[in-house]
Amino acid sequence: MKIYVGIDDTDNINQGATGESAKQIIKMIEDQRWGSCQGLTRHQLLLHPDIAYTSHNSSMCFVAEIETIYLESLIEEAGKFLERYSAPGSDPGLCVAREKLEGAHDLITYGYETKKRIMTKDEAYELAGKLGVHLSEHGGTGLGVIGALAGVGLRMTNNDGRFAGKLKLKPPGTIIDVAEIKSSSPVESVQSMDGYVLRRDERVRLGEKLKTVLLDGKRTLLVYRRESGLVWETCTNAHLRSY
Amino acid sequence: MDSWVKNERGQVQFKGGRHDWSKAAQIAANCPYFLLDDEDELVAEEEISCYNCRFRRWTEQFFVCLKR
Repeated sequence: MKIYVGIDDTDNINQGATGESAKQIIKMIEDQRWGSCQGLTRHQLLLHPDIAYTSHNSSMCFVAEIETIYLESLIEEAGKFLERYSAPGSDPGLCVAREKLEGAHDLITYGYETKKRIMTKDEAYELAGKLGVHLSEHGGTGLGVIGALAGVGLRMTNNDGRFAGKLKLKPPGTIIDVAEIKSSSPVESVQSMDGYVLRRDERVRLGEKLKTVLLDGKRTLLVYRRESGLVWETCTNAHLRSY
Repeated sequence: MDSWVKNERGQVQFKGGRHDWSKAAQIAANCPYFLLDDEDELVAEEEISCYNCRFRRWTEQFFVCLKR
């Protein structure tokens, strides 16, 4: 079965990172041979002074393909991990949802809502209960359940978030074609910021940091052209800020 | 304090908004508190920049420095 795992708020100002917690849970799932995990994504939520986020209010989500019999163990051990290893003063939350979910539309709507307004824990639990989605808190105020649920909803959109980590391709400045990018990395599509999908024979100059985003369900490398530039270039962190 | 202003909550807010890349790099280069954030949260190309610092807290238009 395919599941979505959302995690939020495992850090404090001095230590921890939710992405790192998610990577450790992925490692646990794979070490236990419960299944395999796919790309970890970061989803931006509302930035508002009244929300108790540490510094950027983002949550993390990954997809796992597991044997159904391991679902309960996964939920239990992931929760224990968050309790043991989250930073002091953090408010960790965990969400686990099946891919085939009746009411997925409501979860997606919830995800988008968390980008626009301040949500409450009660709202998160109410929706999770209605949809039959696992949602649990593992320390502090437990407010991380809001972001954990939202992370899953946003990942389900197939059109939100940046993938964690950087691609390792070739040295910065190298010019390679799209076919090579796809064959030597997890990239599934290369497209411009205004939606033009590059052909396999088009060439791209690689930048310093190669980050990918989730667009149309595909791990996508975004590129741009400088004014009067002849070659496509990979987008910088600044370009990708809104993803 | 030329680059900073106190906001209505008494927090020290960067005047340069979210796109004054050179000023943010200049300040961070001389800041004793600068600490690089997690790789997935970096937004500036210059690694040493307030925009990449663990102690910045983003707001919609600016960031506040949690060490000032």
